[in-house]
Amino acid sequence: MGLRAIPDRLGLSLVIVIGMALVVGVTISILSMSVGFMRSVNNTGRIDRAIVLSHGSQFEFASAISRDNALAIADAPGVGIAADGKPIVSAEYVTAVLVSKKSDGLDAYVTLRGVGAEGFTLRPEIRLVNGRMFQSARHELIVGKSARAQFEGLEVGGLVPLADGDWTITGSFESNGDEHESELLADSETLLSATRANTFHSVTVMLKRPESLEDFKAAIATNPALAVDVYRETQFLAAQSKDLNGFLTLIAYVVGGIMGLGATFGALNTMYSAISARAMEIATLRAIGFSGTAVVASVLAESLLLAVSGAFIGAAVAWITFNGNFHAIGGLVFKLAVTPSLVALGIGFAFTLGLVGGLFPAIRAATLPVADALRAT
Amino acid sequence: MKYFPLVWNGLWRKPARTIFTVLSIAVAFILFGILSGVDAGFAHTLEVSRLDRLFTDSRFTAPMPLSYADQIANVPGVTVVAPRSGLFGYYQDPKNFVYVLCADRRFFSLRPEITISTQQLKTLLQTRTGAAVSAEQATKYGWKVGDRVPIQTKTPQTNGNEVWTFDIVAIIDDRNYPGGSGWFIANYSYLDEGRVAEKGTITRFLVRIKDPERGGQIGRQIDKLFANSPVATRTSSERSGAQAGLQYFGDVNFLTSAVLGAVFFMLLFLSGNTMLQSVRERIPEFAVLKALGFSDSSVLSLVVAESVLLCVLAAAAGLLVSKLVIPIVRGPLADFLLLLQIPWSDMLLGLVLALIVALLGSLLPALRLKRLNVVEALVKRQ
Repeated sequence: MGLRAIPDRLGLSLVIVIGMALVVGVTISILSMSVGFMRSVNNTGRIDRAIVLSHGSQFEFASAISRDNALAIADAPGVGIAADGKPIVSAEYVTAVLVSKKSDGLDAYVTLRGVGAEGFTLRPEIRLVNGRMFQSARHELIVGKSARAQFEGLEVGGLVPLADGDWTITGSFESNGDEHESELLADSETLLSATRANTFHSVTVMLKRPESLEDFKAAIATNPALAVDVYRETQFLAAQSKDLNGFLTLIAYVVGGIMGLGATFGALNTMYSAISARAMEIATLRAIGFSGTAVVASVLAESLLLAVSGAFIGAAVAWITFNGNFHAIGGLVFKLAVTPSLVALGIGFAFTLGLVGGLFPAIRAATLPVADALRAT
Repeated sequence: MKYFPLVWNGLWRKPARTIFTVLSIAVAFILFGILSGVDAGFAHTLEVSRLDRLFTDSRFTAPMPLSYADQIANVPGVTVVAPRSGLFGYYQDPKNFVYVLCADRRFFSLRPEITISTQQLKTLLQTRTGAAVSAEQATKYGWKVGDRVPIQTKTPQTNGNEVWTFDIVAIIDDRNYPGGSGWFIANYSYLDEGRVAEKGTITRFLVRIKDPERGGQIGRQIDKLFANSPVATRTSSERSGAQAGLQYFGDVNFLTSAVLGAVFFMLLFLSGNTMLQSVRERIPEFAVLKALGFSDSSVLSLVVAESVLLCVLAAAAGLLVSKLVIPIVRGPLADFLLLLQIPWSDMLLGLVLALIVALLGSLLPALRLKRLNVVEALVKRQ
């Protein structure tokens, strides 16, 4: 019954609706960054792949693995074997290539990853969509879809200047929207000789089964020639992105929390005014026998309805504006994702705020002395 | 001023409403304060990165020969060239990442912002294994002058050892350079004599130029010198590097202004409604004032004054709280962004914004009062 009177207090009710729409919209938009980022990271990793770095290295660039070590790692038990009898292993070398961004012309670095001969058996998700594969021993490379979209001059047929001359882009690839789509790929041996390096940065192996990791790890640990750390690919990538993801989530919660606090005060204000405008009506209801609980329920229903409809509006606006948009953090390009679970989170948040904003005024309404309220005018 | 008690009492007519409105405005200005601290951090990063300082790096990953320094110094317009190289390593635990910057006397003349005394610098240059570290790092790991600090690296020494030991000879006060800290500066000679591979190489030349306007031109000239050498170079100004670094998270400016826009829209609505409500309830009182001889404009200014008092006081409280909060949250955020104290100009901007919100918010209720028919309003009272 209280709900039907909402249009009479339109301005006041809109305070709750608009407040919640803004809180939910902003929070969801920021979180969509973190969700999209993590989706891209999670797409890269598989539980049946493992990555090997030199001992104590926190990231690929800081690691060094010699040729002998790479061979020993490939021969370890637990490594998957391809149809041609070779272990499915890629000893990789990464370097950074200077490019300029299409959006503002600023300098940026894109990762050039040298992969071994089995690199594409290891990562079947990489599909050539344009042109042809690079050939080893030639100055050729292929470009990921996101890197091509974001940076100048990374078209098929284009030239990329490296230490020993220009390299030709022979094709472009897709890879389920994962991290590699923001990279360039080439043959690792050719790249090593071009940069006059003689150690790899990392070795990624396909495991026979996800459970083979323990065998593989044990064999590596008992080999005295190897001073390396082994990680499951999924765990390695999760650890790599933990800090950044934590930061994005923190920002979302701080901004959302502060705005939510503001919106709650707005809601309290609205609901206190609503009950004071309805004081007479509420007192009458109480006088003719409606219980206090019924009054509480009617006030709460009003604030929750307003809050949740605001949340829907905010979520819809965030979805229309941001879902599927591209965003870049560092060199990694990913799609913002407004997922159903984010929308649910936003609505849950608004529900909680609406509950807080409605509860105190509701209790006040229910406990107001009936006689006083009826007499006051 | 004599109407102040009237305005004040008007505000406190319904304490709950006023308190909630004040709180939500204050909370919005806490957010405003924190975001302006983030902006100030970005501005600071750009400001300390100088246009007259160029960095010459290897175009690809291979390090450059030390001999480049003399060739760069001969380029017209270049005043000082400081070569530096470095060691990547960690202290005790791989999590405690340390970058040992290895340079010589010239480095300090290129980075005058490093506050090292002449005496400290002399000791550093005389002690082969000496190191000057920033106060922040020294506090973190408990280092004192005189300590011997082992750094685990991936760079072998001639004796095969990958642990390099340094003697702390100076602790650099970096309190005035938040975000620019983390220095661990050692002697290039110690590194180069001790290492097995890449002897006589440099990873970056810092170049001071006379005329900041000519940075781009001089940079191109330097790069042209080595275009056909085994190791090509790439020179850019410190400022352009800082700009690219700030773009790391994408368009932060867009994000902060979008959030602030949303917040102020919400505020406008909220304060406008509060004023509208409060005026509506007091229509008979205003009618009495008018009947007593108050002019239209003085009644109107009473309402506007009330709204301004409400918004500006709340905003000031919010800004004050964010000033107190910033030092607390600065630490946890330090790895990602530099959060500085709100500049005075932004405090003022905040108060002006509050004033604008107050004026816009009181517009509708004030107009309503202007059209008030005294007789009707007084009659309704019965």
